[in-house]
Formats: sequence, C-alpha cells, structure tokens
Amino acid sequence: MANQPMATGALKAFIHSEAQRILDACTKCGKCVEACPTRRYSAPLTGVEPGTVVTGILSVLRGEQGTPEALGWASVCVRSGLCVSACPEGINPKMMVRIARIMASGGLGGPRQIPVRDDRDFFDRIRAFAKLQLTEEEMRNWM
Amino acid sequence: MSERITFWYGCNVLRHGDIIHICLHVLRLLGIDAQPAGGPDYCCGSVKDGNQTAADGMARRTVTKFNNLGRDRVVAWCPTCHSHMTEFVEQAYEANFSTSHFVDLLYEHRGALAPLLKHAVPMRVLLHKHVGFNDKVAVNAKVPALLRLIPEVEVIEDGYAAPGYMCASLAAVPGAMQDMFRRSLRLVAAHRADALVTVFHQCYRELCGLEAGEGTKVFNYVHLLARSLGLEYVDEYKEWKKSGPNAGALIGEARLARVGVKFFERAVLPELVKRPALKEEEK
Repeated sequence: MANQPMATGALKAFIHSEAQRILDACTKCGKCVEACPTRRYSAPLTGVEPGTVVTGILSVLRGEQGTPEALGWASVCVRSGLCVSACPEGINPKMMVRIARIMASGGLGGPRQIPVRDDRDFFDRIRAFAKLQLTEEEMRNWM
Repeated sequence: MSERITFWYGCNVLRHGDIIHICLHVLRLLGIDAQPAGGPDYCCGSVKDGNQTAADGMARRTVTKFNNLGRDRVVAWCPTCHSHMTEFVEQAYEANFSTSHFVDLLYEHRGALAPLLKHAVPMRVLLHKHVGFNDKVAVNAKVPALLRLIPEVEVIEDGYAAPGYMCASLAAVPGAMQDMFRRSLRLVAAHRADALVTVFHQCYRELCGLEAGEGTKVFNYVHLLARSLGLEYVDEYKEWKKSGPNAGALIGEARLARVGVKFFERAVLPELVKRPALKEEEK
C-alpha cells in the first residue's frame, strides 16, 4: 500500500531555514573564499577581500541584491567542497553558496541576478538517449 | 535472502546504456536484487535551481516513489543525485530508505567481486579525479582499490584532482574545464598512461571526446570491470562521439525515427560533434 502523500513545500521551507541558520552563524572571516579552487576564474573577485565576498553572499541570502564579487563567486562555484573543512564555524559554506546561487537564480521567487541556463530540451534529450539504448521493456520498467 | 536495493542510475547516464547494463550485470553477479530506477520521472530536481517550486515538487515526487518501492536502500550512481538527496531532499521529506552510492556498494562487496574478475586487463591507467564529493563517498580511494582487483591493471599514483565533484559542474566555468583537459592530457603523457579512467558518467561524456581528437584512450571504471568479468559491451556513445557529424549513420534510420530526426539534429547531435576545448578560443 502506498504511503500517505507528503505535504508539498517542505524543500523550500528547508532552504529558507538553512539560509537563516547560516546568516546566524557566519562570521564573514572569508576562510571559505580563500580555500576555493575556482575563485581565480571569476574576474570580479580579483583583489577583493574574502570577507567582503562573503558579506555579499549573505546579502543574497537575506533576499537583497548581491554584490558583483558575490554573484561572481556563486557563478563559479563547482561544489569542490574545500570550503567546508576550511570553515572554523562549521557552517558548511558549500551549502551557503548553493543557496545563494538558488536565490540569485530567482529560484525562490526573487529577482534573477545571475544567468540561468534554460535548457528546454534537457529531459527530452534524456528520453531520446534512452530510446536509442534501452529496450521498450527496460524503459517501461526502469523509468 | 538477497539484498534488495533500488539502483538509482539518474538521468544523464542514460546517454551510456552500456554503463547502466554493466552495473546491473555486476549487481546480479553479486547476488543483489536491484530494481533500476531513473530518468526524468525519478529526477532529484537539482537541475531546477532557478525554479524551486518545480524542484520541490520533483523532490517530493521522487521520495514518494522510492518509499513506495519498499526497498530499504537506494544506491545512487550519480553524485549529483546522491548529494541533492542527502543534503536537501531527505532533509525536507521523510525518506523510508537510506541513500548510498554505487562505489560504496561495490567496495562493500569487493571480497565477492574479486574472484569474479578473472580476465586480465593489461593497462596502466590514470584515474580522473575531482576534489569534491569525497567527503561523502571516498571515490578517489575506493575506485583505485576496485580497479586493483583486476588482474594486470596498474593504477598510476598521481595527486592531481580537478576542481568540482564531476565535470558537469565545470561546464559553467570554461576556463576551469580547459585547464582540466590540458592538465589531464599532460599527465597522461608524463605517466605514459595507456588510458584515462573516469569515475562518473559526466566526466566520461566530456573526456571521451579526447579519444576522437587526441587519440587518448578513455574508459569509465565499470568498463574495465566488465572486461575483467568477460562481459561484452558496446560503448555506443563513444562511437557516436568519435563519428561526430556522421553519428546518425551509426545510429541508423530506425532508431533515429524513434527520437525524431529533427530533434536529433537540433538537440543531440551538437554534443556528439563537440570536442574538448584545448586551445584559447579565437577572439
């Protein structure tokens, strides 16, 4: 028998609660930015103090306009995760930047501050590859 | 009684039907009862960062479907699915299952896997690594350990790990992607490696283009397991990639008709023609 359906909206609520947890805990020390292996690929970060970058990220988490360096950092985050062990407060900066990116993408309804790749063929392309390589029975039973 | 799992292969690995089939073959040999699940109807929702209303609905839908399958363990192939499920989805929705990764499962069963790997695969291989995801699943340590179970596979020791957790994430940072390609090629040459071996499908998708352009052999690690098991497989994606603009001829009219020729030419062919960016783009 199927489980009872769960109420929708819990993921968005979790993201909001995580954002608040991070806002409460972050000291803007900038150790996460220093540890990031891809920050050198973002021109707006050049010469900017790491703590200043984090301050801009926290603005995004509050639903405010992000600074160019904060949006630049969010745009080059590839989830290396080196920031997680670098954080002296244990707040998980990877989660911080991921949520900032979600918010800057307009994912929670705010203004879109960074470009979002809108691939209208994404799922149809997946289905096409499945049709090319799986049998009808496999597609029926596995997808 | 055999272990019952859901094998959550994900979305993008559907480009590589051979990888899915090899994984299922290995699971059968290990005596694991695996229900495959993947594709858009089981998407984790991580592709919808810009639309959390959609992502929320997808997360809820997928957890509900896994709960209804009634299996205690979901074993993910894709690190994106694994991370999104454990870091976000399970934090929001009640999951009646644990989530682990295929590499972890193989590593747990390495004692049973080892005697099945009977065929030698004489090859010096360089593992393509990333720094990310290893805090969740120690793939950079466990995949070499699995490869070393294969007779005559030599895994080269090298400390380089690319940024990110999988090459897909680097696509948004072209400079980082280009640096990764160049460094990988330099290391293959410096170590005189016979092949570059990837852990994940999206790295494989990006790197197997090197075989077409640079002649560098590229495999996913499950391809080497398959060879050692004596399992024949056809890596069609790599062949299509190597054929580039002529991939349609390899696929054939009947299969192209299943996806639609116009859709294939607009949405599929461009990635088969695309080659790794190794040089500075012309200004």
